[in-house]
Amino acid sequence: MRSLVRFAVALAVVAALGIPAIGQPAERGVTPTEIVLGTSMPMSGPASPWGMGVGGGMDAWLRHVNDQGGIHGRKFRLLIRDDAYLPPRAVANVRELVERDGVLAIVSQIGTANCYAVRDFMVESKTFWITPACGADMWAGMRERNRYVFITYPGYVDEGIYLTKYGVENLKAKNIAVFYQNDLYGQQGLLGVKRGVFAARAKGAKLVAQVSYEVVDVEVTAQALKLKESGADTVILYGAPRQSALLVREIAKVGYRPTLMATFTLLDPMMFALAGEAWNDIYLTSYMPVLGTGDARVDAVLATLVRYNPALARLSFNAAAGVSFIEPFLEGIRRAGPTLTKERLVEAMETIKNWDGEAIRGVTFTKESRQGINRLFMVRSERGQYTKLTGWYTYARKF
Amino acid sequence: MAAVTHLAQYLVSGLAAGSLYALVALGVVLLYRSSRVLNFAHGDIATLGTFVAFTLIARKLPFSLAVIGGLAAAALVGALFFFLVLRPAKEASLLGKIVLTIGLALLLGGTVQVVWGTETLVFPFPLSELRVYRLGQVVISEMNLGTIVIGIVLMTLLYVLVQGTKVGLAMRAVAQRVDAAQALGIPARRIYALTWGLAGALGGAAGVLLAPVVYLDPFMMLDPFLKGFAAAVMGGMDSLPGAVLGGFLLGIAENVFAGYVSFKFKTTMAFAVIILVLLLRPEGMLGRVYHRRV
Repeated sequence: MRSLVRFAVALAVVAALGIPAIGQPAERGVTPTEIVLGTSMPMSGPASPWGMGVGGGMDAWLRHVNDQGGIHGRKFRLLIRDDAYLPPRAVANVRELVERDGVLAIVSQIGTANCYAVRDFMVESKTFWITPACGADMWAGMRERNRYVFITYPGYVDEGIYLTKYGVENLKAKNIAVFYQNDLYGQQGLLGVKRGVFAARAKGAKLVAQVSYEVVDVEVTAQALKLKESGADTVILYGAPRQSALLVREIAKVGYRPTLMATFTLLDPMMFALAGEAWNDIYLTSYMPVLGTGDARVDAVLATLVRYNPALARLSFNAAAGVSFIEPFLEGIRRAGPTLTKERLVEAMETIKNWDGEAIRGVTFTKESRQGINRLFMVRSERGQYTKLTGWYTYARKF
Repeated sequence: MAAVTHLAQYLVSGLAAGSLYALVALGVVLLYRSSRVLNFAHGDIATLGTFVAFTLIARKLPFSLAVIGGLAAAALVGALFFFLVLRPAKEASLLGKIVLTIGLALLLGGTVQVVWGTETLVFPFPLSELRVYRLGQVVISEMNLGTIVIGIVLMTLLYVLVQGTKVGLAMRAVAQRVDAAQALGIPARRIYALTWGLAGALGGAAGVLLAPVVYLDPFMMLDPFLKGFAAAVMGGMDSLPGAVLGGFLLGIAENVFAGYVSFKFKTTMAFAVIILVLLLRPEGMLGRVYHRRV
């Protein structure tokens, strides 16, 4: 009898404690006037131009949205933590943002290795994760577990396949070599090229060299010589801006003139300054309109960002990419209406179909798919600017 | 024939990298000889000097003046660090002093990032990296050739200063027995400060020669500093010719290894060679063992 009474009392206490919770704010990171977002970026160290660009771009765009009144009366606050491109620090930052600061979402993040390091925590914590800027292939096969993940960033494997296919079909590429950063980013690009070469083997495509460098390397002379020795007619670049610029300069120096192709991460206008004339006639992919190629809306995005943060003029590509990462999420918040709960937001995100933002285009999310974009097009560098070469190339959705 | 050309090309690029490692190594050895302090801020002092030169060039100063300004800034930082930090902390243990240089490295690294930002910049230089000279099939850029020549000139000047002048004699005296040198009237503090300044300027010169080749950013000296340091250990920490030899050998070895064996283990190989050298000759290739008489 006594234990029954105890049980009843305990039940009453639990119920009493539970009642006020009904009147609490709907979601962590959301108040009637504010939405708190967080991100972990390399704001120091060798990868900091990426963090400064993407983080700075997102921050400036959110300030712009705030100045227009926010969304449904709520303004945004973005907490940026520095991880110096180091996976352990990224883990600590993301845990702190989710568990202590109670953010509604982690928006973006940079570095494939860093993303892998926090992926399981993000999935377990059921926190929104909006377009981590790392090879999207890491989500393949995780369809059951990524309810709160929404991505508008291409996978490097898919991109590598496309680059190879385009090279073989349009640029007479046969003997292909890859210059890549020896980490998950570069290795995924290499894997894509290998698959592309395998698919095009009937047309005579062969992978004749795979030449890597380490993130800390400051010279790539030996790599350039190795590529020349391989006799490749086409070299595909999966590197960071600095080493890629060094490589194209170096191969020009040793009198080697292959067809050069590159990942969209090298679309940065900085490449023209770094590599000079050597950054000419390079074929690259893109997943969003390229700045300065006649798309007035994306150019206007950059103009807005620079008004808020003039330093972004020098980091234009990454800053605009930052906007492309968060735009669909802001649209989801808009569609979710004034009563913002996590589940309403998921449902609202799932209504986004073939949606065009200011920077990103053609975004579609469904109940089954969190892969918001699955298409690319080709551009070519010519005399200090990029020219669009093709329409969209679409690849299969994987997650 | 093609194989010989390739080997020659790897040797040429190794020489260019080696001359920079040698310059860095000389700065490290110069300080170690005189004070037994390993200066972990050497790379950051060099970076600061290079950024100062870059700013002066951007302000339309003639190139030579801008470079002198940059080297002077690096020298000043080195000398000031000695006067303001190391001298007051003279009671600190050797390890304590080394930790102080790590502190200086962090301070300078942060300062450079705050003042100049972290983007990669193009460092203008009168010699071109894309204009090349050909010797048969072997190619060398104007910049690489310039780096090797300027590097050798600077090394020769340093050698003449240390071995052939009174100041050099004083530096050597202070390095061997500071108390005896002071008893003979040599101003040890000034000699130490001069040594720190000279080492900073040497590092700055390496930075100015490196920046046009690998681009300028706050982290550009990370790898060259490690390699220069390794070259110093390999050559013998108290031997200036050893530092030069170590620098060139390391540059050539890592390029040849990368070309014929593996890129992924290029840096690992450099350190494996050092371990091997130290196993066979713990004092380094040209280092000398001082036996203390009882």
